[in-house]
Amino acid sequence: MSIAEGHFRLYARVAPALKAGLYRFSAHQDLAAAGPEGALGAAALPVEDLATYVDVTSPRYLLPPDQVLSTYPPAGTEGAYGARLPQVVIKRRTLPWERQADPANENTPWLALVVFAEGEAELRTGIPAAECITSDRRLSGVVDVEKASALEIRESVIAKIMPTRKDVPLLAHAREVDINDTELMMGDDDGFLAVVIANRLPLAGVGPDGTETPIVYHACLISLENQFDRLIPESPPHTLGSDFLVVAKDVYAVSPAVYDQVVMEQEVDAVVNPAWVGGVLGPHDEALDGPRAPAGDPSAYKTVVSVDGGKAMTAGTDWTLASKAGTAGKAGPGLAEAMSMSAGVSKTVIVGSLVRFDPVYRFPCLLHWSWTTTGSRTFESLMQGVDSGLLGTIGEPRPPVPGRPPLEVVETGHVGLDQRTRRGDLVRAWYRGPLLPHPADLSAPRLGLAHAADQLRLVIPDGREDLSLASAFEIGRLLALSQPSMVAALLRWRQSGYQVARRGAVWGGILEDLDLFGRELVVDRELALQLGRGLVAGITINPSDVIGPPKELFTPGRAMGLDGRAATLVAKGFGIDARLDRPATEVVGVLRGLEVPRQPLVDLTKVGGLRTVGGAIGAVREIGLEQQVAGSISEVILGRPGGGLGGIGAPIGGGIFGGVPVLPHGERREDGPDALDEALARHPGAADEEVSES
Amino acid sequence: MKYDKVAVAHAMPLTYAASVPAQPILGDDLDSTIPAELRSWLVRLRLLEGVPFANLVADTELLPAESMRWFYLDRRWTDALVQGALSVGTVNSDDRTHLTAQYPAIRDELDVEERNHRRAEGSARFGGRVEAVSGFILRSEAVSGWPGLHVRAFSVDPEESDDATYLETDPRRMRLLRLERLAPAVLFCLFDGIPKVVHVEEPRQGVQFGFHMRPAGQGVRATLFPRDKTTFSYINMDGDALVGPQDPDDGIAVPFRAGPGTSGVVDIQRLEQILRTNPKTKAATGADDGLDAAEYALQLIRFPYRQVFGADEGITLAKAFRATIAYQEHVSTTFRFGGNP
Repeated sequence: MSIAEGHFRLYARVAPALKAGLYRFSAHQDLAAAGPEGALGAAALPVEDLATYVDVTSPRYLLPPDQVLSTYPPAGTEGAYGARLPQVVIKRRTLPWERQADPANENTPWLALVVFAEGEAELRTGIPAAECITSDRRLSGVVDVEKASALEIRESVIAKIMPTRKDVPLLAHAREVDINDTELMMGDDDGFLAVVIANRLPLAGVGPDGTETPIVYHACLISLENQFDRLIPESPPHTLGSDFLVVAKDVYAVSPAVYDQVVMEQEVDAVVNPAWVGGVLGPHDEALDGPRAPAGDPSAYKTVVSVDGGKAMTAGTDWTLASKAGTAGKAGPGLAEAMSMSAGVSKTVIVGSLVRFDPVYRFPCLLHWSWTTTGSRTFESLMQGVDSGLLGTIGEPRPPVPGRPPLEVVETGHVGLDQRTRRGDLVRAWYRGPLLPHPADLSAPRLGLAHAADQLRLVIPDGREDLSLASAFEIGRLLALSQPSMVAALLRWRQSGYQVARRGAVWGGILEDLDLFGRELVVDRELALQLGRGLVAGITINPSDVIGPPKELFTPGRAMGLDGRAATLVAKGFGIDARLDRPATEVVGVLRGLEVPRQPLVDLTKVGGLRTVGGAIGAVREIGLEQQVAGSISEVILGRPGGGLGGIGAPIGGGIFGGVPVLPHGERREDGPDALDEALARHPGAADEEVSES
Repeated sequence: MKYDKVAVAHAMPLTYAASVPAQPILGDDLDSTIPAELRSWLVRLRLLEGVPFANLVADTELLPAESMRWFYLDRRWTDALVQGALSVGTVNSDDRTHLTAQYPAIRDELDVEERNHRRAEGSARFGGRVEAVSGFILRSEAVSGWPGLHVRAFSVDPEESDDATYLETDPRRMRLLRLERLAPAVLFCLFDGIPKVVHVEEPRQGVQFGFHMRPAGQGVRATLFPRDKTTFSYINMDGDALVGPQDPDDGIAVPFRAGPGTSGVVDIQRLEQILRTNPKTKAATGADDGLDAAEYALQLIRFPYRQVFGADEGITLAKAFRATIAYQEHVSTTFRFGGNP
């Protein structure tokens, strides 16, 4: 049957098909067949018997780590584990029942989990496997591991902390879990697990002042094979106490027959047959089971069975063991005395015994781990003890902390704190974090944008400031500044945001009128791309709308009307009123015959030369040299006698062309149409024509 | 579970929360006023990640040891936090104008994003915006000893019994905006709303065996509440069903082995005897023919404990919150009317 979801099933015992050990299998076959001459029996078809040895192995000294699914408490941790029993979960479901520990009962598991604190027992690791068990016992079979661990523990400690023989079967069980429940499966493959629980709670220690102190515990999964009798048979009686100093005591129940024999002073093995019933009972204590103490009779405890001479002993003297090897069976008067004194009360005889020699036993330890218990408080007790309230409440009144002013908390949740102002004064201020003891006002408008922390400082009517929001602003600012990546992101965002604003402003009114062949244009980062795409779309759809005819290689100038002789026109164009209708050769001849007035060169090396230069320079006062040259040339060309150094404004001229008015630099010629203007004006439509394109 | 020895002590002074590094988030950058990484960082700031602890709880006396304090979140405070972060880089008035124009859109976007901050990758986005936010701070040994606490909040009081199981997708469940340990022993939790019932549950660690422990004087007292074999419900020593393991008198006092040096050794066999000999419970627990290992283990099983915090009609505001000074008195002692002008 499969397990329902969220369930698991517990089994008291999962028996293996074969216990671990060495087996001899023998197989014998009897064949019968029908042959051609009739039936053939086994004698006619002999088959040799098979005798083979099968070794069923199972971990004996060491448990491989992959066989352990989990341990609780987890190894090497610290925590409040005092309320839970330690346990180990094993992958193989039959492991605790694969070997026989108890010779009387084959169903008893051979594994036990022992928990001990530091100092109670000792764990020896890395010793040869053959030494893992107490030297007087042997484990049959082959030792298959080199080194193993063993737990060394004294007999008295066994009696105190190890499980009893009756406890061991109750502490191992198997569990079947749902395969799909990965948490409970813990990595198992078939959903069946074996669990071994310890019998001890790992409590925390209690220090001198009552606080819990951590204790380190060790847990060992030990093998009880061949040493099952080392455990105590059952738990000692519930109470242990006595008004008298006792070294060690046992209670023997004497049967009525023995009792009678002793009373009648017969030879009897008084001490041989009593059955050990349990530990000591004080005069006022009661055991839950077992013999009842003689009520209120302290003398019953003072008697003892004597040995070797029948000397009765009383409390305070040495107690000796009454052994059967003592007085050859004769109980002696001491026993009779004792029994006579306690006669009628009960049939118990208290026998004292010496302090026993405390041998050390070794158990093979298959698995061990340790942890530290820091407390025994459970999650449950902690959560139930939590003081719950709204933030701002002090809770139970606590003693005031010395050296600090008492805490001021107002109904709104504000707390009074010291503040050092920027000027250095120490004042009190109110502060409240984001955590309120009353519901926030959701209907109120949200906080308006502040650009500086000081804008959020409030002054309360009692004179103090409320710094809650101002500190919040400052903390946000400092946290942003502490992350350089955030600062960079903010700056980048601001930049791109600015560009968006500018883009919007520039393209504001333009886009509505722009019709790009039906495309919608949005002002964003990709506006340029969209425009380009729109243009390309237009070109592909209707190229003639978008693209014009190719441009001409050159731009023709304006047409000029030219009538008349070229020379005259040129002269007119230059503004020279000249008669250039004579043939060119004459003009050239005249030019050749010109005498260019030359100034005599002054010999500057002679003394007088400088004076001449100086005089010449001085003579050039108002009329520049170029004017002189121009006047001379034009005089020759124009054929007019010129004074060379004529007065100002007098046209120097003559010769072929008309006069050339020489103007000084300071004056401007009055505007008026010149010859070029006249030539241009003669042509209709020649004034400022637009170059029209068809 | 590895602990630092020092960190286990629950009396450690309250420390600052570690600052949260900014992580770039790719994707989710579609129609947003601010880039995705900036938005995710601001949302974390809104949930108070990185805010020093002293600014959350102003005085150590407000959060004593073993206490749980509930609160509502102040929307104005978190707005001021975000405004402070955005003010980085606004140098001139041009920047400030720009920010003023953008701020309402940013705030609305953060409101919507706050709810989606903790959602798993690839799952559907939550719509709407966060309105009221509440939460609790728990300072207790339980936080350091059981680090994987489960917290569950419900918007209505569920009718099932206290220990029923609830699915993640139960419509009554309220979302957690933040669940974090600010210090080893301090747990901080924010809910998307104001819950009616909150569960705080021990983390599951497989099946455990143990007893019900109560502190008693200097030590502890262990009690075992027997369980019915068939229905697995608690029964008391008279065989009647128990609602829950509360009163130690209803259970069996666990016998320990007596004697010096035997601290904590449970007398396993005697416990079995007690269950076997009690006439009322033996049939129910299956002990009339002796308990076997499986039946015994059944009695010892302890399941994770769930603490339920719910609306208790007996709680008045005066019990939940007490101010140390009354404002009225404070004002009247600060100002005195009349007197010399």
